[in-house]
Amino acid sequence: MSVLARSVGNAFRNKIRTAAVVAVLAVAIGLALAMLVANQAVGAKVQELNASVGTTLTVNPAGGQGFEGGGEPLTTAEAKTAAAVTNVTSVVGTKALRLRTATTGSTTDTTQAAGPGGAAPGGQQTNVTTNLTAAIDAGTLGNRNNGSTGTGTGTGTTGTQPARSLPITATGIGAEVDSAGKALAITSGTGLGDYTAASAKALVGTTLAEKNNLKVGSTFTIEDKTFTVTGIFDAGTTFGNNAVYVTLPEAQALAATPDELSSMIVTVNSMDNVDSTKTAVQNALGASKADVTQGQRNLATAVSSLGSVRNISMVAFIAALATAGIIILLIMVMLVRERRREIGVLKAIGARNRTIGLQFVLEALVLVALGSVVGAAIASFASGGIASALISSNTTTTTAGPTQRGGGFGGGGFGGGGQGGPFGGASQLLTSVTATASPGVIAIGIAAVFAAAIIGALIPALLTARVRPIEVLRGE
Amino acid sequence: MIEVKDLVRQFKSGDRTIKPVNGVSFELERGTLASIVGKSGSGKSTLLSLLGALDKPTSGDVVVDGVSLAGLPDSKLTEYRRRDIGFVFQQFNLIPNLTALDNVMLPMEFAGVRKAKRLQRAKELLEQVQLDPEKQTRKVNRLSGGEQQRVAIARALANEPKLILADEPTGNLDEQTGEHIIELLSSLSRDHNTTILVVTHDRSLAQKTERCFRLQQGRLTEEARKGSLR
Repeated sequence: MSVLARSVGNAFRNKIRTAAVVAVLAVAIGLALAMLVANQAVGAKVQELNASVGTTLTVNPAGGQGFEGGGEPLTTAEAKTAAAVTNVTSVVGTKALRLRTATTGSTTDTTQAAGPGGAAPGGQQTNVTTNLTAAIDAGTLGNRNNGSTGTGTGTGTTGTQPARSLPITATGIGAEVDSAGKALAITSGTGLGDYTAASAKALVGTTLAEKNNLKVGSTFTIEDKTFTVTGIFDAGTTFGNNAVYVTLPEAQALAATPDELSSMIVTVNSMDNVDSTKTAVQNALGASKADVTQGQRNLATAVSSLGSVRNISMVAFIAALATAGIIILLIMVMLVRERRREIGVLKAIGARNRTIGLQFVLEALVLVALGSVVGAAIASFASGGIASALISSNTTTTTAGPTQRGGGFGGGGFGGGGQGGPFGGASQLLTSVTATASPGVIAIGIAAVFAAAIIGALIPALLTARVRPIEVLRGE
Repeated sequence: MIEVKDLVRQFKSGDRTIKPVNGVSFELERGTLASIVGKSGSGKSTLLSLLGALDKPTSGDVVVDGVSLAGLPDSKLTEYRRRDIGFVFQQFNLIPNLTALDNVMLPMEFAGVRKAKRLQRAKELLEQVQLDPEKQTRKVNRLSGGEQQRVAIARALANEPKLILADEPTGNLDEQTGEHIIELLSSLSRDHNTTILVVTHDRSLAQKTERCFRLQQGRLTEEARKGSLR
């Protein structure tokens, strides 16, 4: 019989006690694993938020009000001015176009509107024609405006469209990012290549491509110019996918406004510098020329809240781990004391200290293995609830009163609808954290539990070395 | 050859110093069956523990085949117990949740004997002590006292030790089983040239040994020395 087999046998000597120990261990291990799962889930969310939002500022013409227009257009010279501000790592200009299907008639006026997600409030948006059909139906909300020209309220236009069709957003971009500064998720094909040169290449949203049977290599027209689809992207929203991206110079050429920008996306080198850089950019461009908004301010709050949850879950994980280790320590100390005479017997018949110590460590690990199986089951059921409870108890105060500007007709242009970029607000962000006990996380957690158990079992194992073989004669 | 030289073991008990073993000296030739008798508390078990390196003497020495135990590190004493000593305890001291076979195999496992070989030898030893084959795979806590004692003797023989130390080996047994155990020990001494030192209250058992010592107030005197029982 090997040391391992003897350890397994010893672990089941007293079945009732073993069951009790395993139950207690399972609770501690289950809690530890649930906390680790919550920690990983929140950590992943924080990473996602940081990756998605980054450290960007959005610059729009001062006073721009969605459809209503207002303000003076931004220029490439101002983009250079912004780029020269300390801590600014890049400036990406955008030019928004509003594509109307040629058969539904077109207008030549300009309106203010947002890019996808309403993240470009106040940008100068030019109406141009296309042979594409919008992927979004006008619906009830859109048809309420049927009596208008669809150019937004307050423009004073007249005439009734025979059938209302929503426009398609086309945006000229200076880099492979959307109008909110988020990296484009190209699901097939490639990007546009050189974004600083005019080209007849375009990226098309998934739903728009589907609606118009477009694939990579397909063509369509804007203002009678033929564009080739080089890639199809997924913006993650229905609105965002009813869009086209072309290079910035191409969009400027289509709008016949070669030097104008609808908005600028300014990237700052670190989150710590966002506030100061925002002020610096605002000062550099002038308050009368540009509005600088910090898109991630409420997200920063949300990220901070999630950071707290992450810290709490990590502390709880370590505490539960330590508890499991202490349980093992106490149980094994008790077993060593109880089996002093047996240890004496083993030593009397020639067992080395390390053999006896190993036997006790293995016995502890058998108990931990059983506790881990039950604990993992507990964690897989409880981790979601525990994560939700942690998040809700730590974010009730921080999710109120988001400070993000933009969205809605008044400030963000058509279609923005208060989405305010890729996320709809801190509270939505927080509730979107899903904690699922993935095998990888469980494996990491169990490895940590075993490490804690080994440390916990080493002390009693070392105690066995202090048991003298003369103990064998105790009671004789 | 076992030489015991002026062995002393003393303990503190409050202000008093107790010397259960006080200047014990004797020699035993290889293959001798000897006994030590004495009243309860006379130090018999203490002397046995010193001979078996379970305990360390306050002074004096035990020399086994020319090797002095005094001053040997714990690891060497462990090796000595594993290789040269076989213990038979009054309370048997078997591992209760292991089978008879597993108990007998334990010392061989500690000595690094391969599993197949130790299983074969354990079976042979249990047959030698006349334990029924079907009882060899039973957990020892389900065996009778006599059967457990036989398993304990088989375990003591596992690594073919030079010296077997038996503490009251018949103390918990009925007369008939006790007789059988004595015969078994005698045959071991005779057939395997193993030195056997038995601590006992049992005068009849003591009379059957070649040499009989009496331990009284920590001092050892030889009561009888006769020709071999062989």
